[in-house]
Amino acid sequence: MEKCTFLNFLPKFFPHCVSKSTAHNEKRSILHMLDPMPNNSPFDINMAVDAGFDVLMPYSNVKLESVHALTQDAIFSRGPGGEKKTAMFIGGRDIGLAIDMLNTSKQAMVPPFEIAVMADPSGAFTTAAALVACVEKELREKHNKSLKESKALVFGGTGPVGLATAVIAAQQGAQTTLIDHLSLDAAQDAAKEYGRRFKVELHAAVAGSDEEKAEIISDADIIFCTAKAGIQVLSTAVLQHAKQLKVAGDVNAVPPAGIEGIDVNDFGKALKGLPDSQNTVGIGALAVGSVKYKLQHTLLKSMLKSDKPLFLDFRDAFNEAQALFATAEES
Amino acid sequence: MDKPFILHMLTTAKNLSPFDVNMALDAGWVSAVPYINVEPSEVRGLVQDAIFSRSPKGLKRTAIFIGGRETKQAMDMLKLAKNAMVPPFEVSVFADPSGAFTTAAGMVAIVEKALIEKFDTTLEGKNILALGGTGPVGQAAAVIAAKAGANVRIIGRQLDKAERIAELCSEEFGEGDITITAGADADKGDYIKSTDIVFATGAAGIQLLSPEHIASAPQLKVAADVNAVPPSGIAGVDAFDNCKPIEGSPSGAVGIGALAIGNVKYQAQNRLLRKMLEADNPVYLNFEHAFEVARDFVRDNA
Repeated sequence: MEKCTFLNFLPKFFPHCVSKSTAHNEKRSILHMLDPMPNNSPFDINMAVDAGFDVLMPYSNVKLESVHALTQDAIFSRGPGGEKKTAMFIGGRDIGLAIDMLNTSKQAMVPPFEIAVMADPSGAFTTAAALVACVEKELREKHNKSLKESKALVFGGTGPVGLATAVIAAQQGAQTTLIDHLSLDAAQDAAKEYGRRFKVELHAAVAGSDEEKAEIISDADIIFCTAKAGIQVLSTAVLQHAKQLKVAGDVNAVPPAGIEGIDVNDFGKALKGLPDSQNTVGIGALAVGSVKYKLQHTLLKSMLKSDKPLFLDFRDAFNEAQALFATAEES
Repeated sequence: MDKPFILHMLTTAKNLSPFDVNMALDAGWVSAVPYINVEPSEVRGLVQDAIFSRSPKGLKRTAIFIGGRETKQAMDMLKLAKNAMVPPFEVSVFADPSGAFTTAAGMVAIVEKALIEKFDTTLEGKNILALGGTGPVGQAAAVIAAKAGANVRIIGRQLDKAERIAELCSEEFGEGDITITAGADADKGDYIKSTDIVFATGAAGIQLLSPEHIASAPQLKVAADVNAVPPSGIAGVDAFDNCKPIEGSPSGAVGIGALAIGNVKYQAQNRLLRKMLEADNPVYLNFEHAFEVARDFVRDNA
């Protein structure tokens, strides 16, 4: 009762406090950002703020065993009505671990106490989804072909973006090969592990020298370049051996480009330096990046809007990307 | 709608300094996000992650703060961050390890003001003893003062360490344009006889300059102390002193205490954090910029 008296008092003396205190009753949105690494990615921080989350809470060095307890701590401190105001983001560099963490958090929910969770380690899920969707679009529009009929190579294939790209491409029916620049073992291990985990068939190869690269790309329809930033993986001279190559996509925005002849802003432009007969089109990093940006933004925002809790991974990202292009075509 | 202001706060230590977090939020940054235990080799990756998730317009509302405890490491990280930018994708960066750059800037700015007002002179050609000068604040103060034309001698308990730091300050931070010398703490009784200015930047609670030293300093003009924990680093200089005559000084020297310096430090850090919010083009801020804004503040509030 004392509280009521106090509140009745307030408008008289501190009218500005009343509107403020009402605002405080409306809960601020919180994104709990779990990361197995020592730090979150500044990319994800910017994205989360820009999607409208009021408060970001970084949790670093998170182990898989801790995810259950962290999730339950997050759900039980706010009423079931608050779920739209609370969500969880899973980062890191390991896409398998991120999926395990996503599944663990899903199992830790106690309906109606549940919140939305999104996994996007190193932005790999949304980057890969954007990359594959862009390539699929150009393949269809410029070459009237589908991923099912295509042979795809993923350079830098053992990194997070490469692995997610390979899994999505393989799930869409492309015959997909992971390529490592140093070690066949690394490529084979990754192909086996992620093939089993996501129930797809992945092939593996090593290609470090220009000769090896020239040989392996000779019958490829699609090249995804997801190698380290600032390193040229395929030169124009090497690319001339890719007689079947239809679409090449590069996610490296730091010069030099991973694939020579693709400008960062290219979306479906012929690769510079290749003969017209080759008819290869390229997709540059900023073109992929702008789609990736939209996907991550939309998925993060959907956690604030959805009526029921969502559990988002690369499949949702790819569906969203396809929907994005479908809407663009309709309008 | 304009994007919210985000400050990515990097530190090599295991935590950010709550001082810097408060300062960042009070300067108007909406989100202050910590990145801890950061290795210099990780700076490039973190910076590029930060720049590629916003448009160049949004990046004007994004910046990076570099904390930590080591001057050289922070300067290296500032350089690495600057080199990692991919124009037009670039953001402002401000290094202030342990608050040392803004503290040093605050100290030198007040000392300069005291010289002008009480002795009608400048830092040019003055002999400075930087006592306990091998730490981050001492290093930055030595470089700022030397760049303003003073002859600075860094004093440490171990001469070889002081010599190493003096060389680092001259060559690395001063880019070879300045010469900072070194001396052993045991010899400060001799040096003090020809000293115009004393900076005391040693560990808290240790007296670096005794009443006897003050009495034997015939040309001492200003003595500044960043230590706020008693006993003060300079005998007779209280934390609250702001240009107060030091008892027993034959030359009428004035003392500047930690809280007077702290006030200017606060203003300098606040101004640099706001500079990043307001700048139209990316800025890369270190102790030199801290000294510029500290000087402005001291001049405007004379």
